[in-house]
Amino acid sequence: MTDHTTTDDAPSDDRSFDDSAPDGGMPVSTASVDAALESLDDDGLTGYNYAYLDEHTKREVRRSMLKAVAIPGHQVPYASRPMPLARGWGTGGIQASLSLLGPEDRFKVIDQGADESVNAANIRRLAETTAEVETTTDTTDADLIQSRHRIPEEVLTAGQRLVLQVPITDALRKVDPSDAANRRRHAHKNYGKMWVHLYENVVEYGEINIASRYPTMVAGRYLMDPSPIPRWDVPKLDDADHLTVLAAGREARIYAVPPHTAVEPLAFEDRDFTVERFPEQACHACGSTDTYLVEVSEESADEDGFETRYACNDSSFCRKRRENPELPKDHHLDREGVDWGPETPDGDASTAQRGGSE
Amino acid sequence: MGYVAVTAGEEIIERAEQLFEKQRLDEDEELAVGQIDGQLGRLTGQAMSEGGLYAPRLAALAVKQAQGDTVEAAFLLRAYRSTLERFDESTTVEPSEMIASRRVSPAFKDVPGGQILGATKDYTQRLLDFDLFDGDTTDPTADWDIDDEGEPEELTNVTELLREEGLLHAPEEATVDEPTDTTRESVTHPPARDAVLQELARGETGAVTALGYSALRGYGQVHPTLAEVRVGRLPVRIDHPYTGEAVTVTHTEVTESEAVVPVYEKRADPQFAFGYGLTFGRNERKAIGMTVLDASIQLDSEAEPAENPEFVLDTIDGMDSFGFIEHLKLPHYVTFQSILDRIRSIRERQRAGDESKVRADEQPAEPPTQGASDDD
Repeated sequence: MTDHTTTDDAPSDDRSFDDSAPDGGMPVSTASVDAALESLDDDGLTGYNYAYLDEHTKREVRRSMLKAVAIPGHQVPYASRPMPLARGWGTGGIQASLSLLGPEDRFKVIDQGADESVNAANIRRLAETTAEVETTTDTTDADLIQSRHRIPEEVLTAGQRLVLQVPITDALRKVDPSDAANRRRHAHKNYGKMWVHLYENVVEYGEINIASRYPTMVAGRYLMDPSPIPRWDVPKLDDADHLTVLAAGREARIYAVPPHTAVEPLAFEDRDFTVERFPEQACHACGSTDTYLVEVSEESADEDGFETRYACNDSSFCRKRRENPELPKDHHLDREGVDWGPETPDGDASTAQRGGSE
Repeated sequence: MGYVAVTAGEEIIERAEQLFEKQRLDEDEELAVGQIDGQLGRLTGQAMSEGGLYAPRLAALAVKQAQGDTVEAAFLLRAYRSTLERFDESTTVEPSEMIASRRVSPAFKDVPGGQILGATKDYTQRLLDFDLFDGDTTDPTADWDIDDEGEPEELTNVTELLREEGLLHAPEEATVDEPTDTTRESVTHPPARDAVLQELARGETGAVTALGYSALRGYGQVHPTLAEVRVGRLPVRIDHPYTGEAVTVTHTEVTESEAVVPVYEKRADPQFAFGYGLTFGRNERKAIGMTVLDASIQLDSEAEPAENPEFVLDTIDGMDSFGFIEHLKLPHYVTFQSILDRIRSIRERQRAGDESKVRADEQPAEPPTQGASDDD
């Protein structure tokens, strides 16, 4: 890092304003700007604080997180800083992660289920260069997991923290774009407009047509947007062992689901909450039938047209399953049959029905 | 095989960056940062204004690095700014202290201090100047007789004239000692006026212009009369840490605009409402747009987009809109799979509903959505 000392050979194209300022003020040389410019020539992020953000900011983010933990599901405003990533690309998540990370932590970043995705690699790179943390792709090995729109297939434990990136902070945004009005609704626990929306869904389509960002009650008090995780992952938040922090950078809000908190997706008595169905499908690589699958269309080998195949979305777990197809999702725990959403032994069949046929 | 649509690691990112850097290079000489600052001042001004950081040379660097994308350049400045320590606040300056290089007051034909047309292209015919192909470095003002320049005078603000007559209400006294800083405290509603002005001053030029235009176009009541549009330099002063005296540390080039709006809030004592705009750099369009929006937001109505503070502040920021619009390029296959599940399920249900209806009687089909809802 270059010293911020005044140099004698200040550049001649210096735009410092002339000494004849009519107000008699004292001009100051712009040498400090030159020093700042020179420091930019360094490679890497020399000159930035540990974990990029300054300590005051990190403390403020952690305070907001504590408040969020104390009021599960409530959106806490915080002064989201401009990050060297575009807003909408995980800046809330990375601020939460960088505020939590210490040199001892192992960090995992997933984007849409994959550690290999470009954006995940980019976020991992920022944490690596500024916080000098070890990174991992193994869910069971990570202390902190930042994820865009998935909760891993392997059960998270009490020692782990999950940071979910959030694009839109309020489930009520679907029914009213005004945050001011929605804050009033949250204060009064007035979720009538959302219930009417769900009812109208049923009237119009016969069922609720919300795909992801499924409106979910937290601890029986606040309606929460669980971020665009698929419905498949929502039951994993209920009575979980781990802490989930949901952080939005652009919208400058943090909220949380502390461990062992009741999380219940909104549904009607005669219209159950259903998760995504993959009828008769298995991952073409590992053969799993109990994981969230995504489909890919590929050109057919022997005829014209396309062929659709399904694959595990959690690429890290899929790799393990390819070696050991029988590996349960709670293989790393000292107990068995842990409830971890759909298709796990104790998964609540009434809230996590697969197939959803009537 | 590639079932992960975009599979990559750091090497791919580096290569993409290298390709992007290559686009900047051509056979001509490389553009110097000083040239951008000197010859493309509008670009650096816009980047500084939207970035909320007055630093012409850093802005020129940002414009160069962003290959002319002003929002990207403003973004670079903001990310850099957020790592700087804020060690002091400048003292308040009066706009009348501005050393104006341009000043127009459309409200009156003659104003104290006079109209200063200054450097403008407002009245130039928009014809491509083919001479610029070969470059022309002669200074067209070389022969000017500027000996009678004189001292720059302080210009009386036109709004002061209206205030003296009681036609314009005096600004409310500040009720807080320290100004709100929306970069340190996120905006909640209803926002304080200084928070509104800060957000508008950092707003994206195109968005400020478009939303301001929407009010003039008829989606709003504000059609202001401009009292002042000025471009010039304002001193930045801080209290000296040892002597306590105010010291000028630098000047900033700003564009300022003030307008009056005939909105009669009080029937008994009709007065003009007032709108204000200020941006770093030379950007009259944005300053006037901001003035319209400031005046509109003070009406605080949900009837028109420009008069709804929440709508304006939610959409005006270039960093926010740029990031969220472009994030759509990120993979979305998890959420899309979820959407596919919903639409297939509803289609199955409707098909089943339609079939049972046809079996039940031969009536012409009702709208399919209603048919679906009958199915239990």
